[in-house]
Amino acid sequence: MKRSYVGVALLCAILMLNIIFTQYMVHQYFFENYKNTIIAAAVNVILFPVAIYIYKRDKKQDKGMKNHE
Amino acid sequence: MSDKNKKIPYDEDNYTHNINRNNERKLDRRGFMKTLVGAAGVFAVSSLPWGTLAAKELMGLGDKEYKHKKITDVKSIAIGDAVDFAFPGEHDSAILIRLSENHYVAYQNACTHLRCPVFWDKKEEEMICPCHHGKFDVKTGTPIAGPPRRPLPEIQVKVDKGAVYAVRVKRYEA
Repeated sequence: MKRSYVGVALLCAILMLNIIFTQYMVHQYFFENYKNTIIAAAVNVILFPVAIYIYKRDKKQDKGMKNHE
Repeated sequence: MSDKNKKIPYDEDNYTHNINRNNERKLDRRGFMKTLVGAAGVFAVSSLPWGTLAAKELMGLGDKEYKHKKITDVKSIAIGDAVDFAFPGEHDSAILIRLSENHYVAYQNACTHLRCPVFWDKKEEEMICPCHHGKFDVKTGTPIAGPPRRPLPEIQVKVDKGAVYAVRVKRYEA
């Protein structure tokens, strides 16, 4: 069975973005730029459903491939 | 021959040979993706308090202004004298010092070491905590001697119509 690693790569990218935005958020909080803090926190929260969507999509594709076998 | 291991030994009493643990701990591609999604969830949840705190700051709740409170009349406090009061609550004891004609300073006078009341020493021009001889600079509230390491919280004051009012407590800055 041939596997697609696109989903894995995308999720890794999301995790990287999570790390970046978390650090940005904390730094901006201590620099007292509270608007940037809220933006970074919102991005972090939104990335979670995106990650779930990518996972679900991958699962569906996997199932489709199994049916073809 | 190959089916030898798959044979169920006792059909009617099969409680010990029915557990298949092959590859139980193997982290496959799907499992790895699940972990990544979980990590994203942890990041999302952990950024919520930061957002909340930032929103609180933006709405100005951190720098709250209390009801102005009259401390004393200008006439009844001579230059170089001090008067005790309480601000913002009735148990938050504070001290007002008149340094010159128009220069007043006020601090919450619980020592930042062990919360003993800090007094104004007119002769030495320092604020002194009698418990462990902690000393504070009267102009800024920063500790200059003894055990305390943090400054006294400053109270902003306002002179209005011959009376001195306490306006707000300045934020503690680390």
